[in-house]
Amino acid sequence: MSSYHLSTRERLLAIVNDIEIVAKELIENTIAPKAQKMSSADHTQLVELLVLKDKELKATLQLAAEQAGIEKKMDALRDQVRKQDEEINQLQKQLKEAEQILATSIFQARQKLASITKANKRPVSSEELIKFAHRISASHAICAPLTWQQGDLRRPYPTDIEMRLGFLGKSDLNINGHNMQHPNSLNEMHRNTSAVAAGSGAGGEIPASAQNQFAWHPSGELHMSMGAGGGSVSLDTRAHKDASQDDVEVMSTESSSSSSSDSQ
Amino acid sequence: MDVVDIKPQIANIPEPKIQPVEIEILPVVYDIIRSVEKDPIDNTAKQKESAECSQKVLELQRSLDAARATIRKLHGIEYSKEEQLRRLESLRKQLALKQQLIKKYKNVQF
Repeated sequence: MSSYHLSTRERLLAIVNDIEIVAKELIENTIAPKAQKMSSADHTQLVELLVLKDKELKATLQLAAEQAGIEKKMDALRDQVRKQDEEINQLQKQLKEAEQILATSIFQARQKLASITKANKRPVSSEELIKFAHRISASHAICAPLTWQQGDLRRPYPTDIEMRLGFLGKSDLNINGHNMQHPNSLNEMHRNTSAVAAGSGAGGEIPASAQNQFAWHPSGELHMSMGAGGGSVSLDTRAHKDASQDDVEVMSTESSSSSSSDSQ
Repeated sequence: MDVVDIKPQIANIPEPKIQPVEIEILPVVYDIIRSVEKDPIDNTAKQKESAECSQKVLELQRSLDAARATIRKLHGIEYSKEEQLRRLESLRKQLALKQQLIKKYKNVQF
């Protein structure tokens, strides 16, 4: 039986078993009666076999010692391999982290570049931006006037009255085609509201459109001045409407004055 | 520079000299055979001798079992020498490859 494929341990154990068998055989031969004793040639062979096995045992033990030395070397190598493994894992983790950070940065940078390109396609002049910024802030829409107190009627948004004094309110009520009358009363009304508001900002804005403003007619109707030509148009939102449009009367200017509760 | 670094790192492991385990079975066997062959005529001596003989036989059995236990405890003999050397070589290659990999990771240019 070839022992080359056997491990050294198995070889050693096999040799020890062989020695045991041969030794037992020898001892049994020694104590056996003369009639059952084996021939001297066999006896000699058995003895030689025992000696051979012993020599083989010693040689294999020497081999085992060498292998133990090699095994120690391998243990040291395995230690080093384990350390390299740990280092590799650490490096991989760090590289992965770096890759993630870089990918995020590149993505964000691309987004920024895209928005820059988009902005460059439709540039806005800084003068226009500043002009609009000035307009917005001039109407106290960003910050209250320095003299503003609680109870001040001025607001950062156009109030109800200001909306009606504006172009939209004026054009809406011009449908009737009446001319506006009493531009003075309009200014009086406006001065009254300004006095209550105690502000110059709102008043400063209105004069720009004051020429086209409407005024309160003593009869209770709203009248609008018609540009430089003078005259006023009464803004009648009730009488000429159909009965089916009764709902519109609810939205008329007479009742709307009471609807604005925010002016307080 | 790095190639020079790798080889000494592997070759620097000193091979420890390990003394082989001593297993002596033959002297016990010889003792047993001699005491059997003595065969004294005197009865008391005979009895004494046979008692000693059986002791020696037990001793032989014990030494065989001890030898087997010692062999089982030995390290590094799970494989034959050739197989062990093959494994040692593959372990060395593995270590060299991993060191090269680490070197590559550390020197990568982005």
